[in-house]
This record gives sequence, C-alpha cells and structure tokens, in this order.
Amino acid sequence: MISLFRFIAELFNLKSKNSKCLNFYSLKKTAAGVSLLAASFCYCQKCDLQFEGQILDLHDNSPISLAVVQVLDSDQTVFSDYNGFFKFESQCSGKIKCKISHLNCQDLYLELDINKSVFKKIYLEHHIESLDEVIIEDSKIKDLLSTASAYSLSSLQKDNYSGKGLANALEQISGVNILTTGNVISKPMIHGMFGSRVGIIYDGVQIENQQWGQDHAPNVDLNAFEEIRLIKGAGVLKYSGDTPGGIIVLENTLPKINDSLYGKSILSGSTNGRGLNIVSSWIKSYNSGNYFKAQALVKRYGDFSAPEYVLSNSGTDENNISLTFGKNKILSQWKTNFSYFSQEIGILRSSHIGNVNDLVYAIESAKPIIIKPFDHEIDLPKQVNKHYTIGVQYSKRDKSNGKLNAKYSWQRNNRREYDVRRGELKNKPAIDLTLNTHDLLSNYQWEKSNWSLDSGVFFQIQDNYSDPETGTRRLIPDYLKTELGTYSTASLTPSNNFSLAFGFRFSHQNNHIKKYYKNKRWNEENYQDKLGDFVINEVLSQKLVEQRLIFNNLSMNTGVKFALSERLNLSLNLFHTERAPDIAEMFSDGLHHSLATIEYGNPFLRNEVTQKVVVNFEKEIGNFTYNISPYLVNGQNYIIIEPTGIEYTIRGSFPVWEYRAVSSTIRGVDLDFSFDFNNTIKIRNSSSWIEGFEKLSKTPLINIPPFKSSNYIQFSIPKLKSLFMTISSKSILRQNQFPNHNFETSVVENGVRLNKLVDISTPPRSYHLFGAEFHWGPYPFFSNNINLSLIFDNIFNSSYRNYLNRLRFYADEMGRNVMLQIKIYH
Amino acid sequence: MFNNIFVKPIIALFLFVLIFACSKDEDPEPAHEEEIVTLVTLEVSKVGSSETIKYNFEVEGHDHDDHEEEEEDDDHDDHDGEHTEIELEANSSYNVSMFIYNDTDPNNIENITQEIIEEKDEHQVFYAITDELSGFSIEPASDDTVDSNGNSLYIKTTWTTTGETSGDVVGYLIHEPTQKTGTTRTDFGGATDFEIDFEVHVE
Repeated sequence: MISLFRFIAELFNLKSKNSKCLNFYSLKKTAAGVSLLAASFCYCQKCDLQFEGQILDLHDNSPISLAVVQVLDSDQTVFSDYNGFFKFESQCSGKIKCKISHLNCQDLYLELDINKSVFKKIYLEHHIESLDEVIIEDSKIKDLLSTASAYSLSSLQKDNYSGKGLANALEQISGVNILTTGNVISKPMIHGMFGSRVGIIYDGVQIENQQWGQDHAPNVDLNAFEEIRLIKGAGVLKYSGDTPGGIIVLENTLPKINDSLYGKSILSGSTNGRGLNIVSSWIKSYNSGNYFKAQALVKRYGDFSAPEYVLSNSGTDENNISLTFGKNKILSQWKTNFSYFSQEIGILRSSHIGNVNDLVYAIESAKPIIIKPFDHEIDLPKQVNKHYTIGVQYSKRDKSNGKLNAKYSWQRNNRREYDVRRGELKNKPAIDLTLNTHDLLSNYQWEKSNWSLDSGVFFQIQDNYSDPETGTRRLIPDYLKTELGTYSTASLTPSNNFSLAFGFRFSHQNNHIKKYYKNKRWNEENYQDKLGDFVINEVLSQKLVEQRLIFNNLSMNTGVKFALSERLNLSLNLFHTERAPDIAEMFSDGLHHSLATIEYGNPFLRNEVTQKVVVNFEKEIGNFTYNISPYLVNGQNYIIIEPTGIEYTIRGSFPVWEYRAVSSTIRGVDLDFSFDFNNTIKIRNSSSWIEGFEKLSKTPLINIPPFKSSNYIQFSIPKLKSLFMTISSKSILRQNQFPNHNFETSVVENGVRLNKLVDISTPPRSYHLFGAEFHWGPYPFFSNNINLSLIFDNIFNSSYRNYLNRLRFYADEMGRNVMLQIKIYH
Repeated sequence: MFNNIFVKPIIALFLFVLIFACSKDEDPEPAHEEEIVTLVTLEVSKVGSSETIKYNFEVEGHDHDDHEEEEEDDDHDDHDGEHTEIELEANSSYNVSMFIYNDTDPNNIENITQEIIEEKDEHQVFYAITDELSGFSIEPASDDTVDSNGNSLYIKTTWTTTGETSGDVVGYLIHEPTQKTGTTRTDFGGATDFEIDFEVHVE
C-alpha cells in the first residue's frame, strides 16, 4: 500500500514537471531583449524599459479588451486594446507592482522584477460567479459516444427505484432485463448478456465486485449518483473494452459554486416486505469552489410475499454511506471520495437443498417447502456483502483546451455466503472472498469545436483471497491479476448532420493463480498432460497448481451518425470486443446449493471475441417519436456454461455444469415510441425481442430474455398542476427458445423406484403486470419543497414466475406492493 | 508535450509493474472440507450373535487409493460407486448402527455421528424400503437417540427379515426436516445430506 501511495505521489510529481510547459506566465522574447540585456549589466536604475503584455482569458485563451492595467507604484494606468495588448513605456528597472482588473474578472495583483523590457502574457480568471458557467459547461454530461445513443434515467425514474437497486431501475430501458436470484439479488442484463459482459462504471472506474456470478448483484448504491446512463454496446472504450453487452455509467454532476447547502431526502415505505428505505444526500458548497457531499442510505426489509404465501427468509438490510470532498476551479479540479456499501440479503429458505432429488420435490411442489410466518429476521442461507471505495481524482485544463485527468481508486469487496450448515460451522460462511482492486488511470482530452480526442493509460492490480477457514472447497482460487493498457477514442463532427467516431483499447492482462485441484477431478479430466508441469505441491489428495496466464485484448469500435433530416437520425456502430475469460470461468469449483449443481471452470479457455453491430433509427413526426434499434452479436469463443454430466456421490446426484467456448449469434431489436396528446396524455411503449443460439448446433442459449413489452400512459390534469399519474402494463411472453438441459434421476417414492424428469429447462408461462403511479408536488414545506408519490406494483396481485430468476423452481415472484414515497428537496 | 504527458506515466507504470512483479507469494492453505459426509458405515450384527459386519459406503474421498486402474468405460456407468451388498439371513433380526464420517483427510478422520446425535432436533435418518423387499422392516432400536419431541433418529435400528428376498433400502440423512415422521422422502422436507442405496439380500 505504502509503495502504491509513493508511486502516486511520484506520478503527481511527474505531472507537476509536465506543467512547466503549461506555465501561464511564460516569458517571450522581445526584439529589444538583446540590447536591454546589455543595459542591465549596469546596476544603476534605468528608467527606459518597456513593459508590455497581452491579457487573455484563462479559460479559453481569448484576448480580453478594456482591462485596466495599473502600475501601483507610479499610478500609471492603461487599458488593454481589442487584442488584449497593453504597453507601458519608460519603466524603471526593479520591482513593480501591478493590478489588473476587468469588469467580469477577479482583480489580479502581480509583482514583477524587471531589469529588461518584458512581454508578458497575463491570464485573467473570471469572477467566481461567472465561473459557474464555465463549470456548468464543464460538468455538462458529455456524450459517452457521439455516434451511439445513451439511455439515461430521469431523476423521477431513478428516485422511484431508490430502494430497489440499480438493476431494477435500469430495467425501465428497452433491451435491459434483470437476471435475478430471488427478489433482491438482481443484475442488469443488456442484449442478453450479463456479468462480466456488462460494465458498471462508477466515478470513472469499473466496479470490481466479483460480478461473474449470477447471484452476485452489483454492490453499488444508485442513490449516490445523479446521472445514470447506459450504452448498449462496448462503445465506451475509455472505461472498458471487454463488455460487449453494454456499459452503465454512474456519475455525479459538479456541485454549484456558491455558498449553499442543499440536498434531497427520500423516505419510502413499502407494504410488501414491510420495509423502509431512507436516502439522504447533502451538498455544502463554497464560493471558493470547495464542496463537501455526504450521502447515506438505510434500508430494512422483512420477508417479501408472493400473492399466496410468504417468501420466507427473503428480506434484506442495507447501509451505505458516501463522502466526497473536492474543489472546482476553472483550470483544475480535484476530488476525493470514500464510500461504504454493506448489504445483508436473505436467500429464500426453501431454495437451500441437498441434492437433485430434493430439487425434483421442489419443482413438483406448487408452494415452497418451507413457509414460515412473516418476520424481519435474516436467517440462513444469506449473503453479506461489503464494498469499500476510496478514490482520488485530479484534473487540469490547459490553454489549448485540453484536459488532463488522473485518478487512483481502491476497491475492497468482501463477499460472504452463508449456507445452512451443521454444528460449529453454522455461523461460518461457506464462501468468504475478499477482492482488492487498485486502479490507476490517466487520460488527456482535447476538445475542439468539431473534433475531440481522448487518450489514456490504465493500470489495475487485483488480488483475490479466498479464506480457507470456511471449511469448504474454494469456489474461486486465490489469484493476482495485473492489467495494463491504453486507449484512444476520437470523434469528428465535420458538419451538423454527420458525426464519426472511432477508438481502440488495448490491454495486457497477467493472471497469477494458485489453485487446488482434487485428485479425482484431476484424473478424470486428464489434467496431468497439460497442467502436470505446474503442480507445486500435493496435499490431502489435492494438487496445488500454479499458473501464470497472459491475455492480450484489443477492442475497437467505430460508428457514424447521420441526421438525415431535422427529425430523422440514423446511426450505425460497430464494436469488436475481446474479453479475457474470467477467473470464475476458468477456475470455479464448487457446489451451488440453489440448483444442486456442481460448477467447474475450464482452465483452457481463450479470449472471447465478439463483434456487435447496432443500428439506431430515430424519428420524430409531430408528437410521435420512435426509435428502432436492431442489433447483431457474433461471438467466437463465446463462453457459456452448460451441463455435461452427473456426479454421483453419497450425498446424492448432482448435475455438473462446465464452462465451454462456442460460436454464437445473438440478435434482437429494441423499440421505443411515444405519443403526446396535447400535453395531457402521453403514451409510451418500450419493447424488446431477442434470440441467441449456438451457431453450429443451433441450440438456443440459456437465459435469453423472452419478448417483453411495457406500456405507460401518463396523465396530467391541467387544472391540477401538481398531480400527474401513470398507468403501466408489462407483458412478458413465454420464452420458447431454450436449451433442453433436462435429465432423469432415480427416486424412491412410497417404496417404488421411479425415474423422474428433472425439468430445469422449461420456462414459465407468460405474464402481465399492471402498475400505477401517482405523483403530487412540489409543495412548499417550511423552506423546502416536498413531493409525494404513491406507487402500486403488480396491482392485481398476480402469481407468476420469471424465466430469468434462478430461484423460479421454488417460489412465485412478489405479489402486490404499495409504496409511499416522500421526497424533500432542501 | 505529448512526451511529458504520456511517456513518463507509461514508464512509471512499467517500472511499477517490474518492481512489484505481481505475484502471489505465499501458497494458499489447502481448504479442509469440514462438513461433507464422505463415508457412511453400517455395522450389522445379528441379534444374539457377537459377530459384527461392517459395510462401508463411500464415493467421494476414496481417491487417495492408488488402485484406480479399473477400466475407464466402467467408471462412467458405475455411478453408485462400489456395489456393496448387505447379506442377511431370513427370519432374523439385526441390530444396525450407522456411523457417519468425513475422511477427506486420512490422518484426521472426523466422526460426524456424534454431532448429528447432538443436533438431533435438526436431523433425521430415514430408510426408504423398496417394495421388492417384501416382509422386511426397519424399526428404531431400543438404544436409538430420541429427539426432544420423542421422535427416534433411526441412527440405531433393528432390521427384521422374513422370507428370502432382495431389493434396495435407501438411507437418507435429512438436515432440518420440516417433519420428523413419514413414509416417503417427500414427507420430511429438508435438505438431503446423503442418500445411499443399500442393496439388501435376504437368504
């Protein structure tokens, strides 16, 4: 750690050396220089020197006219001319004091030691009030990619989901689905891809929270961010090059530059789960550009309920806090932040089973096997996740309108999964992984009126530690990953109706892994031939294998966007993505209790390569707007997990799932349209269709979302300005394209041995959900504003199961929920 | 300028990588699988006889044996592991005691039986007898463990045979059963800790 800090210090040191070339008070040779140099050999005071200069705007380098330049000692005053130039004749050598003032700028005092005639460029800073504009310009959320559409959540959309988590909030965008494990654990899925194929960028770095697992929800609080945007494609090479699904960017806008204290608090209470969610964020800003931001969330939910029964042990608790301290100035900004995310999630009790025959009973039973009365306790099985982030960020503008950024961030993620266990192991987690990630990034952005360029380097070091105290086999081995790379992106806008973007990102990844293989598995898979040389130890019928795996990835994208007419936009983006296989995909080794499956990684996987084409067609006809976006993903070495056999142990039988690389195709189309009837009624629809299959065998890929269509009708009554309401309906059809992974198992029932089909493949039937939202406000409330919302989900309390829920074999989804939300802007 | 902005940080980064060489220095400790059942032993003795026969059932954890030179093809089909048959005489009673072990570490074989007896309310052994085994019954023995609600745990049982027959007895250890009595596996709920087919021959 210490050495890392030293390194950062060194880097900043380098930066400050760099800044010599950006020195704002650089001297310029003057024609008279040589002669005056001679004159200055005489140490007596000379009074025939010239002091001239140019006054420039610090922010955009433009000349400032009519600035008052005063030599304080002699009380001489001149104005700068149209080009910012000024000139004082017959100055005496020695120190002079000057004052430069301008209507829009802060007064600048300058002390000069002149012993020859000088020419000086003087940069004036705007008044702090007008600095706001500069900052606003700077903080304006820039396009993530000029040729692809970014979908962003409105603050209402975000606030409605303040208690439900990031993935649920994003599901409002077409083409985004959520892959869930129960009711709380949900991860975003974009274009049928999830986990490591979807990047979540918060505060400029990718979140590293063991995102590979299907039951690993992102450990980030959406309430800590003001802007949530999503790009369906790997386009943002600045942040990540290995996420063909898409990228989710969580950002904060820069705070105001004046003395103020403001913020927002949201209090929500829900009937389902009888829970409470409190979010509060406060920003204290100062005239000087300093600011301090604090944000916290407290969430308590008990067992959720399906329409007919309580989902025992499905509650959740969450406590988050984030603190940011920074300073914004015209030319430089710095920011340091700390955040802590802590979550305890109950896993449906009935989903903890022993073997495949238990799974058969669970599938056959219409209700979960264990239903207990409602409570707020989180019992076993459960997950306890903690995520800490510390970041330091610095950016500096230069005269050529470039901006240099540097950022260091440390993330520490600890994941503990508790199973239902025996004896003294009861309170010991079965999985205890600690992932430490250090990121160091530096980039330089140039921006001109019709082009921009962004180029940078990044370095990551990641250490995973799997605690052996768990008394189970390590699901993920200990590893150390080092990644080093560079990227460049450019965009060109030659004319108003045409823009062009391209970029590349190269990364070199070095994984150092030490993993124990059980001899049984080692022999069955004939690992001796290929991995025998890497065995460094053998103990307890396990072999310790040390491997260093190197992956080089080159990802590229290019896109064009045409404005065919004023109201018709067409864009085309191509992404070539290379992704190194996850450690989990290569080395996972363990039992998943919820599906009674044994999961094995494949140590011989190679880079996954995908090409993705996304077309976006946007048209506006009067009050009618639509957006059609078809896409195609072509994957080579596309890594999937699928059953390969059954392992028989005295614990019973377990299907074995192994990772394998295939050639794949995913294609689909996202559709959004909206129609506005004279501002009182607004209709909106978002639909998405997708299919994915293995190229050779034409076998459909697993967990591809079925067709989904969401409709929203929004009413606002002109007489009641402070009320508007939305009625929504969501239709999700049955997924008919699924791989058949069913198998048979032998069970003894009432003395008769039977072969039973374990139907783990057939998707559940289609369903329709209705919801309603009522929003009142804002109303004045003391010196604040208050808004009220009443939100109904699954209003008809329908029972349904969701294909993308891993626990769909055990229980129905949540029933009706009524949420009351009070929002206060202070 | 380009040099200053890019080259120096890159050099610094490379130096950093070189200096730290990024290696996991210490070897990870081997994980002890503390919970799993790898060996179940039935000790069968005929009532009135002093002779006890031990039957071992294990699939996981027996790979430290070196004589794994069996035919490859058989390995895939032979999914019940070793076919150990329990030979019983007709018209007799047997005392059968179950012992449960974790022998992952051959130097430190763990006897889990005692732990299960201690947590008797959270465990249940159930024997499912297939219909082929006619005239065969299993009752809890008089010295069997009884949980706090008076349900026998079936760790110690008496097996009674009548005529000649053969068939399977499936033994289950159920963790946190929803119900402690029943006639078929589904009656108990809970999670299966082990499920073993005992092939019984009554001659």
